[in-house]
Amino acid sequence: MSTPNKNLNENEPQNLNSVAEVEDAKLAQIHEKPKSQGRIVLERFVSHKPAMISAVILVVITVFAFSSIGWGPIPGWWGQNFYHAGAVVDGGKPTLSLVPAWLGGEGIRIGEHPFGQDSVGKDYFALVMNGTQKSIIIGVVVGLVATVLGTVIGAVAGYFRGWVDEILMRITDLFIVIPLLVLAAVLGKMAGASTGSIIILALVLGLVTWTGLARLVRGEILSLREREYVAAAQAMGSKTSRVIFKHLIPNTMGVIIVNATFAIAGAILLESSLSYLGFGVKAPESSLGLLISQYQNAFTTRPYLFWWPGMIIVTIALSVNFLGDGLRDAFDPRQIGKKRRRRAGLFALPTRKEKP
Amino acid sequence: MWKFIAKRLGSALAVLFAASLLLYVLVINSGDPLKDLRESNADNREYLMAQRVEYMNLDAPWYGRYWDWLTGASKCLIGQCDLGQNINGVEVSGLLANAASSTLRLVVLATVIAAVLGIAIGVLTAIRQYSGLDYIVTFMTFLFFSLPVFWAAVLLKEYLAISYNDWLADPQISLGSSIAIGIVVGLVLQMFLGGSLKRRGITFIAAAVFVPLVLQYSIWLNFYRYPQMGPAIIIVLTALVALSATAMSVGLKEKRVLYPALITVVLVLAMYYATFYMLLEPNAWILLFGLVLAVAIPAVVGRFMGGRLRKAAMSVSVATGVVGAGLTVVDHMFRAWPGFLDVKGRPIATIGSSTANLEGGFWDHFLDNGTQLLMPTILLAVISLASYSRYTRSSMLEVQRQDYIRTARSKGLSERTVIFRHAFRNAMIPIATIAAFDFAGLIGGAVITERVFGWKGMGEMFATGLDHVDPAPVMAFFLVTGTAAIIFNLLADIVYALLDPRIRV
Amino acid sequence: MSHAAPMNEQGSDGYALSFTDLNVVFATGGADVHAVKGLSLTVRPGQVVALVGESGSGKSVTSTAAMGLLPENANVSGAAKVGNVNVVGLDEGKLRKMRATDIAMVFQEPMTALNPVLTIERQLTEALELHDIAYGKEATDRAIELLDMVGIPDPAKRVKQYPHQFSGGQRQRIVIAMAISCDPKVIIADEPTTALDVTVQAEILDLLRELKDRLNTGILLITHNMGVVADMADEVAVMFQGNLVETGTVEQVLLRPEHPYTQRLLAAVPRLSAPAVTTATPPHSSETAPPGRELVLEAKDLVLEYDMRGKIFRAVEEVSFDIAKGEVLGIVGESGSGKSTIAKAVLGLLPVASGSLSVQGHDLPKLSPKEARAVRKRIGVIFQDPAASLNPRFPIGDCITEPMVVHKVGSKAGRIKRAEELLDAVKLPRNVINRYPHELSGGQRQRVCIARALTLNPELLIADEPTSALDVSVQAVVLEMLQDLQRDFNFACLFVSHDLAVVDMLADAVVVMQSGRAVEQGMVDTVLHAPTHDYTKRLLAAAPVPDPHEQAVRRAAWRLLNSTK
Repeated sequence: MSTPNKNLNENEPQNLNSVAEVEDAKLAQIHEKPKSQGRIVLERFVSHKPAMISAVILVVITVFAFSSIGWGPIPGWWGQNFYHAGAVVDGGKPTLSLVPAWLGGEGIRIGEHPFGQDSVGKDYFALVMNGTQKSIIIGVVVGLVATVLGTVIGAVAGYFRGWVDEILMRITDLFIVIPLLVLAAVLGKMAGASTGSIIILALVLGLVTWTGLARLVRGEILSLREREYVAAAQAMGSKTSRVIFKHLIPNTMGVIIVNATFAIAGAILLESSLSYLGFGVKAPESSLGLLISQYQNAFTTRPYLFWWPGMIIVTIALSVNFLGDGLRDAFDPRQIGKKRRRRAGLFALPTRKEKP
Repeated sequence: MWKFIAKRLGSALAVLFAASLLLYVLVINSGDPLKDLRESNADNREYLMAQRVEYMNLDAPWYGRYWDWLTGASKCLIGQCDLGQNINGVEVSGLLANAASSTLRLVVLATVIAAVLGIAIGVLTAIRQYSGLDYIVTFMTFLFFSLPVFWAAVLLKEYLAISYNDWLADPQISLGSSIAIGIVVGLVLQMFLGGSLKRRGITFIAAAVFVPLVLQYSIWLNFYRYPQMGPAIIIVLTALVALSATAMSVGLKEKRVLYPALITVVLVLAMYYATFYMLLEPNAWILLFGLVLAVAIPAVVGRFMGGRLRKAAMSVSVATGVVGAGLTVVDHMFRAWPGFLDVKGRPIATIGSSTANLEGGFWDHFLDNGTQLLMPTILLAVISLASYSRYTRSSMLEVQRQDYIRTARSKGLSERTVIFRHAFRNAMIPIATIAAFDFAGLIGGAVITERVFGWKGMGEMFATGLDHVDPAPVMAFFLVTGTAAIIFNLLADIVYALLDPRIRV
Repeated sequence: MSHAAPMNEQGSDGYALSFTDLNVVFATGGADVHAVKGLSLTVRPGQVVALVGESGSGKSVTSTAAMGLLPENANVSGAAKVGNVNVVGLDEGKLRKMRATDIAMVFQEPMTALNPVLTIERQLTEALELHDIAYGKEATDRAIELLDMVGIPDPAKRVKQYPHQFSGGQRQRIVIAMAISCDPKVIIADEPTTALDVTVQAEILDLLRELKDRLNTGILLITHNMGVVADMADEVAVMFQGNLVETGTVEQVLLRPEHPYTQRLLAAVPRLSAPAVTTATPPHSSETAPPGRELVLEAKDLVLEYDMRGKIFRAVEEVSFDIAKGEVLGIVGESGSGKSTIAKAVLGLLPVASGSLSVQGHDLPKLSPKEARAVRKRIGVIFQDPAASLNPRFPIGDCITEPMVVHKVGSKAGRIKRAEELLDAVKLPRNVINRYPHELSGGQRQRVCIARALTLNPELLIADEPTSALDVSVQAVVLEMLQDLQRDFNFACLFVSHDLAVVDMLADAVVVMQSGRAVEQGMVDTVLHAPTHDYTKRLLAAAPVPDPHEQAVRRAAWRLLNSTK
């Protein structure tokens, strides 16, 4: 009944009679360069198409927003600025046209005011670019503040448990009874009342949006600290700071990075909501949210004033969300691509057969 | 169990107290309540300022004012709320009743719709992971995650409400658009129903042919202005529900389930005639009582006829009964619709939570409230639905990797039983906790939604109050929404304990 | 009782289960994986066939193919017949009807195999109702009968309970009850006792044997444990890398193996040496060592407690032992005995509640943090799970030299040199220094852990179940390596294990623990070969040995021990 050794793959070591030997032979056969976790994640991320497209879109929007009208003292390539009022040309209609003449359009052109002009004749393209800059800055600052706070507090709560953990969980409970938007509105109003600077607003928003990440990091640390490599590090006499910063936080990087991106998208949307309610960015500062709320009543008469800032917010938020999704897939080996996932469990739910 | 609830309630009250203190301090420090008067040129400026200081008790220290608020608010426990005066000296308690009812109606309805639909979509996309449906739903959820609420609201108002109202003035669907609609419906339907390529094809063709015919027929009937159903259609639809529910649960050959379901269909017809005149001008209690009967009677029938299959018999009969009763109510609404259109020509409202001084009977008010609620509810539900479907999907996928799912398969259970009996309940356990946070998010969303749709609700109270640095309305908002959140959270905890025997005390 | 299966009794050739030239290939992202290569095997009713192999041998894939539960990307060819129905390529609906009624399965992990939110009653009766065997009250009665049959006490009450209210052994009994509920022709038992303690394992094996005889069911027993094979099997099939390398009766394969793989596999199994043969006493045993032993670790009346949300749980109760330089002390016991807790306390991961625990005369609880760090430097550690014991973000070189970094020992070049020396010592190629843990196999990672433990030339090595997650042949390599290194470096070693044979092979002295207490302790030769305490006797009798004749004797002894209890 015994079967001869046939069908052996060529790359499999031959004539060995112990698993230990087979493994050692395989190790000796690896010629590829060693791959760190970060490298593997990067490779998976690069092969995630929606995320890569999103990354390109984000880079394009950011470069466009900052280079067109310049930033601070650096001048941009767009001839007009967002504070000079001027004569309203052709009722402020946008001059941008993407429909070629042979399709019955007005031909492909950019024109003087591609996004049109507002009621006092300011160039709307410059205004929108300025708002985009501010929204991106707010998103990034809030994302950074929330991520740093959330990571440190979450890690400390997860590692030491005890009273730090108690406090964290109670603060989290607080957000069940006071909705985030409400607390952010109150703080946003305070920040606006005192200075009116968008950086202050962003810092304040960061102060209320860290709890979600803190909870996730805490959960992650709670499970990681039971890992044996952490026990080994503690047993060999490592300092607590080394255990947290060398062993625990680097291994929660996936959760942190993914949620930092979601936090950026959330912050941009939160800012737009606050500005809409009048508790966020206030004139003369500008942001995309403020632009929409200023022109929402112009929707029927001058829809372009409403569409452009809205579309840009949606595009940025959507791209950031897809980026985060791609990062999550890249960090979570269970979710990467069809083929890997299907191999993962022998008893995975049968899915329909794919066409070849 | 009771100990567990009491403990949760205790800690919730402590959190509510701490949150109220925090919010109070933040609000009174968010600006100067006298700012507008300081800048005003009115002759009686001094008097107005003194009056406002008195209304708001500004001479007292902050803790004194907070204490006043707290003692007043705690009287709510004995039914005598005193929530202070707003910046104009109006009693906030008086303002609260209307505002609270419209906001809670909105939020609760949106939560229920979002949870039910979101979970259903989440389960479906988890089962069909990496299908076209999954990709499209994933993209849609990401899109909904990325929409600024008020921006979407403006679009919704413009393209759904206003265009529908315009269209309803003279409902017409051209042959071309009905064919186009048919094709779209067919594509969507085949995606949701799935199956083999052949089955999908049949689904698509059936829908693409059937839908345009129905649309043209309905236009011919002028259905959109004069909708009608009548007992015959109710019975046919109810019977279809009874048959398909039986087929899906145990199969049509099981008489012990089929007969009670069919008996329920007959009962629905009997009830339709019995209650006809009562339902022409009912009230809320009659409808509620009717619903209870629609559940209880079929349940009893199923219980006694089901034998060993009584559980399946009961649920199939109850489903049939509820659908039948629902259709009966819809029939009456249809009857009231032309009259309603006479008093309110543009039914889908974009402003306000109810039409002032609306003439008409129960159904007119019912339809009015319904159509006013439609837009904000759709908006809130859609945004919240996205997160429910996402969480359900990932939770289902996680559960499907578990060993006990493999055990269930090895017993020979069908895929449907494996998913609904074994996977679904386990997948719902983490969703119960998420629901509590989501509810808080919806209340936040309601603040914006109310502003967009011009509701005089809690959100409006909050926004105006905060704008004027006026703590009383803001705290009243907090008291209502915070309590609602705690009750909701407690419900989620109870559901959690019911789902998971491991944490029952 | 009506069977829904499309045939009546056993197949014409009389086999309950037969594989003919079964091939399973998994289509993956990279190259296809040929998991089972032309396997042919038969199981008769009432017969136990053991399918033996190490990880990656394809034994579990074979059994899953018979259940028809392989994922979509598996390409199966050949035949797997249950009775006389070939399940390869069979329609899903027909396959479902055969599950539980014709072929049933017992899984490895009883803790996760049962649905946590459904009662035992529901989980047992659903198969009965599905396959038209019994309904309602009748089904519940049958469920109670089944629980009684598998030895769950008070079944009428317990059938209403949920899985978390049962112990691991009881849950495995419930899984077995589930498997036999519809009277299958063949049961596939996939490592049914691997997750269980040795005394529970013996009970479960007894149960399986008794049920098989009573119901005349064929059993395909998948296992890596040669002792279990000797205890249960009539025939044995050995798999290696997807190939069936040897089949035969249990005597043939275990006592006269022909294939070199089988020979080496059997040679790798650690065995309790026969009591008479005491020549293997290590030269550094304390009997031959000079009377002035240089104590490295000493515990006196050690008490250890866990604080579980205010509830104090005593894990270790007044245990005393000592280890001198060059000695190995084994601590054995079953799960929950407190053996790993002691290792944790020595490593400083758990405070000492009372008693003393001193390393080279320094009483650990009384040390200042700085002094404690100095003591840590002299202790190395190896843990159980090779997948979790190396930081996935550190290259192997950093893993090995981490103790030097923590204690600021050596220059950068010196550290690399030390890492290379240690890699040589654990027989790994030097170029793995830049590789990452995920690129190594479990056994190789465990060797890296050994290297890390030895980096600072420790006086004391704590090994907490260092080989229990490894395959037998890999375990042999690691154990041999540990023994050699211990001889070379002469450190003291605290070796925690559940496997008596491993302790017998490695240790000089042994402490036997049960529920936090040391029930018996002394030299290995006396404790493991002439035990006095009842529990030690039970442990020894329960551990199966890979020799069918000897195992038959031991099984009789085990039954006797249980009946007198």
